[in-house]
Amino acid sequence: MQSTACLHVTDSFGIRRTVPLLKPVFTIGRKVDSDLHIMSTTVSRDHGEIVCENGIYYLVDKGSKSGIFINGQRVERTALSNLDRITLGGADEYQIQFIAANNQQADQFSSIDGLSSGEGQLAAATAKEKLKNLARYVEINQAFKFSLAPDDVLTLVVDAAVELAGAERGLIMLKGDGDSLAFKVARDNRRNNVEQRDFALSTRVVRQVLAENRTVILNTTPGDDQQMQSVYNLSLHTVICIPLHQFLMQATVGVTSTLQRKLLGILYLDSRRETGHLSQTNSRLLDSLAFEASKALENARLLHEEQEKQRLEREFEMARSVQVALLPTSDNIPQSKHFELAAQSLPCRYVGGDFYDLMALQGGTVLTLCDVSGKGISAALLASVAQGVIEAQFYAGASPAEVSTTLNRVVVNRSDANRFITMFCSVLGDDGNFSWVNAGHNPPILARQTGEVEMLSTSSLVLGAFDFAEYCVTNTRLSPGDVVFIFSDGVTEATNGSDQMFGDERLQNLVQRNKDRSAQEIKDLVMSEVLAFTHGVPQGDDITIVALKMK
Amino acid sequence: MDINLRSEGNVTILDLQGNLTIGAAEESLRQRVEQLLATDKKYLLVNLANVPMIDSSGIGSLVKSFTHAKNQGGKVKLLKPTKLAQQLLSITGLLSVFETFDDEATAVASF
Repeated sequence: MQSTACLHVTDSFGIRRTVPLLKPVFTIGRKVDSDLHIMSTTVSRDHGEIVCENGIYYLVDKGSKSGIFINGQRVERTALSNLDRITLGGADEYQIQFIAANNQQADQFSSIDGLSSGEGQLAAATAKEKLKNLARYVEINQAFKFSLAPDDVLTLVVDAAVELAGAERGLIMLKGDGDSLAFKVARDNRRNNVEQRDFALSTRVVRQVLAENRTVILNTTPGDDQQMQSVYNLSLHTVICIPLHQFLMQATVGVTSTLQRKLLGILYLDSRRETGHLSQTNSRLLDSLAFEASKALENARLLHEEQEKQRLEREFEMARSVQVALLPTSDNIPQSKHFELAAQSLPCRYVGGDFYDLMALQGGTVLTLCDVSGKGISAALLASVAQGVIEAQFYAGASPAEVSTTLNRVVVNRSDANRFITMFCSVLGDDGNFSWVNAGHNPPILARQTGEVEMLSTSSLVLGAFDFAEYCVTNTRLSPGDVVFIFSDGVTEATNGSDQMFGDERLQNLVQRNKDRSAQEIKDLVMSEVLAFTHGVPQGDDITIVALKMK
Repeated sequence: MDINLRSEGNVTILDLQGNLTIGAAEESLRQRVEQLLATDKKYLLVNLANVPMIDSSGIGSLVKSFTHAKNQGGKVKLLKPTKLAQQLLSITGLLSVFETFDDEATAVASF
């Protein structure tokens, strides 16, 4: 990309070119060897110059008869700013614009400099090389994650195409969801937007391009036959319509893959000039144009997708922090002189279907652990509803059985029935009475101080599957030193590189052997053992633990 | 996971081959059951003998199939659940809902 300042010059024929300001003193005038040679009798031989001093460009009047102007103001010697319009007195058919150095968008145009100038046919090979810059530009933006709206890319593509082909106007139409083409961007050769209503295009040409999936060039004269009537009526003289493609690598059986083309839309160029350059544009140049324009659009699409992906990731991050905030953490986990509690949940994706809740209420302390079947967002949404129902029910004074029955009804009525929830739901009284319901959940481990191990299981149905399910409470008396270890199946089903599961037995032994440790230590120990076991294997399910230790 | 269909009288046997886990497998079982119910095949026996792995989503697809069939006056029963499947059905309380069989002839005759 060019990093020097330059001038965009459009002459009286509407031909654009970009002239880099490479010399410290850049002369402008009618003299043939001027750096910018202006062919107009109203311009002095030595009209003016642009002087570069310390990186600043000054426009200087060299004693011209008709004067020199910046944005309509006559000047003697004035510093130029980016996009300033320069006029030479009496030669207002020339449009000159100053483009400062390091102006990326302007640089992009300048790299396509002069391709359409009427000074002779350019080799298609050179044209192709220049054209590639457009696709590269988008690639660079992509690489550096610069924001580049898809419409900006379309504008760049149309401008470049108009310039390369020497057309007067160009437009891009893209396919929407259906097969119909939607107007996107139209530009003229002075880089102005053209309104859709002002761009009467030949529908016949567009139809032909869509039908034949190839570039169509029409040169029309008043003597053309009936078929060209619609073009003639539009008083167009030359039309080039180019199909734009998305190129898809398609893997086939074996090692080879093929490049498939999918029609994205059309690039339409026209020129009303009688001796327009369009008719002289050679076919290889057009092929290049079609390919590079398609590539630029594809790059823009990929960039857009990448940005969309990042946006989604930010949303997931936010969802995760919302979900994490819903779980009690060390700050608000209830503690008492009768027991210790520790808990943790590790979703395998951003958000998960596991959750726990610990609440100190008048009737005792609530310990709940739920696992919504499935993973990710869909499971997390149902998990949030369930957590809300459970909390509201407990605050209203419901028993674990009533909470289970209500939640079952809510989920049966309000979910797609392919999902269910397993739940262990309990209330611990200060007297050590532990009332619990196990709704289809992995049985928690009760490791008694005496060394016995019990599994808290009743084979009650999961929640949300059947409206007829009923739940009843089991009461267990806990004694000082007893440990209740509640967990989700992500713990026991954690899988290592050899496809072995952590398993119930390993977990039971671990809890039993460490029953004399604190709740926090037991929770941390199991978590680190599970992660060590699966070392290097991505977590396949949400992992959640609640550890209770009686004092 | 593949699903092959066989008919024994008015009973359709679905021979499952592969893991019944989250994603395509549970989805295809549900869809297949819906198709069968739509064509008035209401007595379905799901053969789990060749299902080495089953997870909660897989169980979910069995539950959905069961409910769907029941709502249309049909029945879904299970044939030869593996040890893992039995364990999961037991934990989730679903053994009380699903009729399970180790013998195909007995299963077919039970409808």
